[in-house]
Amino acid sequence: MNTRDIIIETHGLRKEYEMGSETVYALRGVDVSIERNEYIAVMGPSGSGKSTLMNLIGCLDTPTAGEYLLNGQAVQGLEDDELARIRNREIGFVFQTFNLLPRATALHNVELPLIYAGVPAKERSKRAEHALEQTGLADRMDHKPNELSGGQRQRVAIARALVNVPSILLADEPTGNLDSVTSADIMKVFDELHDAGQTIIMVTHELEVSEHAERVITLRDGMVESHDAQREQRPVVEV
Amino acid sequence: MKPLEGIVLALQQVWAHKLKSAFTLLGVVIGVTFLIAVITVVEGMNRYVQDDLAGSIFGVNTVTIVRRNRITTGPESENARRRASRNPQLTIRDVEVVRAAVPDAWLLSFYEDRNLPEVRNKELRRRNVRLIGGSPDHAELQGMPIEFGRGLTELDERRGLRNVIIGAGIVDRLFPDESPLEKDIRLGPHTFRVVGVFERQGGMFGSIRDAAILIPFATYRQNFSRSKNEVDAISIKMRSAEELEDVTLAVEAALRSDRGLRPGEENTFHFETSEELLGAWRSISRILFAAIPALVGVSLVVGGIVIMNIMLLSVAGRIKEIGVRKAIGARRQDILIQFLAESATLSLLGAAIGIMLGIGLGAVVDRISPLPAAVPMWAIVVALSVGLFVGVASGIYPAWKAANQDPIVALHSE
Repeated sequence: MNTRDIIIETHGLRKEYEMGSETVYALRGVDVSIERNEYIAVMGPSGSGKSTLMNLIGCLDTPTAGEYLLNGQAVQGLEDDELARIRNREIGFVFQTFNLLPRATALHNVELPLIYAGVPAKERSKRAEHALEQTGLADRMDHKPNELSGGQRQRVAIARALVNVPSILLADEPTGNLDSVTSADIMKVFDELHDAGQTIIMVTHELEVSEHAERVITLRDGMVESHDAQREQRPVVEV
Repeated sequence: MKPLEGIVLALQQVWAHKLKSAFTLLGVVIGVTFLIAVITVVEGMNRYVQDDLAGSIFGVNTVTIVRRNRITTGPESENARRRASRNPQLTIRDVEVVRAAVPDAWLLSFYEDRNLPEVRNKELRRRNVRLIGGSPDHAELQGMPIEFGRGLTELDERRGLRNVIIGAGIVDRLFPDESPLEKDIRLGPHTFRVVGVFERQGGMFGSIRDAAILIPFATYRQNFSRSKNEVDAISIKMRSAEELEDVTLAVEAALRSDRGLRPGEENTFHFETSEELLGAWRSISRILFAAIPALVGVSLVVGGIVIMNIMLLSVAGRIKEIGVRKAIGARRQDILIQFLAESATLSLLGAAIGIMLGIGLGAVVDRISPLPAAVPMWAIVVALSVGLFVGVASGIYPAWKAANQDPIVALHSE
């Protein structure tokens, strides 16, 4: 296992919330290990803790206890600004509701992470254009979100997630708001990105979607229930 | 994120909500407009008083003796006022005392004046004119040059002739399309002959002078004065400012001894100089300038509160956007700067509009009233600084709220 290129590793990850007088145990000790270039689907019923796990992996939140190593760096206990920097450089988010800025063009939406990374304007638009070409939107760069179809919006969002060349692409129900034909299109984009070497972690509750992944991590009651490999050609990762 | 990006972002935001922005800016716009307009007019007055008025009212190198102080700015004590009201009228006798005390005066004149309800040329009339009975040197000493015709002479004075010199404003009314020279006009029950016309003075106080009528002092005494030997003022003009102080001392000594005042007793007369007027004006403009911050402050505070509310609404309406920005790597300070830049840009925009309106308002005042206007550079700098301050001050709380949003909560808000 040490010889493999581990990108995400968690040990005994716990997350607890105070909800009024009650304590909610969202994660009760989660151990996962994800290699570079893996394609993971995270599944589980609602309340299983998959959103919490995604928030922790995405560095939007910090664990109550346990350890989270991203690229070998311990993330738990970091300051807000350091977490923001990690989100900016290491993680590309794709959301169910696309979450584009409505009044900005596709190009500007894709440029945003680069603005926060302090990339100069010229290089910014070059890289944003390239990312949009990658997701097949070269001819829609100057369109605003309301001038784009749902599938196109998600392609813009994927381009935005990719533009900083992140270690992991973190997708939360990326086809949840799309019809089946468009969903298939978007899943093809993820497949292509994976083939090109991108590490992808995707939260979904749709079996069809999870079938694109190499491995499915299933959560139940805040713990990992199973982490099965779906295809023979990829080895099972022991945790 | 660099502040410049924040400003661009803010301008896009303002442009996207034009009407809302316009209302948001109203308070700051009004405050700054007022600030600039008042400063412009007061500063214009300042320059006018210092450059033109002081010299033209009292004359350069001139000292005027009057019965009591005519310019009061501060709260004069009741005692001083009562004492001054007991001062005797100046008389022809005082004129002779002064003349004897200052044998080397360049010009010496005296006059008496009153308001005249109207002056007529047949059916044409001009109401409310200032009728001056002046000694022959009066016009020259007061800096009122003759444009047409001639000035008053010793002969006019000695014989008490009914000759008159009229101001340009009276020519406009009584002789709209003919030369007034050698024409007769009616001053009350008397007929006078126009022998000269004063040059037009224009401007704020000039318009009062343009409505003046000068007749020989002797003629005035015979026809318009109740008393036979009183004068309102005696003026002495010297060739240089240095002589003025000695002259004042000499006149003071002569008048005191003539009136039998003992040492320690107050003067029963008063000296007016252009310095005195300048001093009076300075204290008036100080009061005006001191009042500006209070007046402007109120509308700026209101403007700031409006901006703060709009910014709070803007933050509340963009929670999701804040979440997205944080998710893709915006740090707390990036969000803070974004919203601060937005409120500062809003407010600066308001200040810029206010400056333009203020300058416009000043120009209008300059045009339609005799008040002169001048926009000093420092007023614009002050206005912009005030705009920036209001914007930042009113943006701090909303921006702080935005920057401290939990990204997860923000992302899941609708």
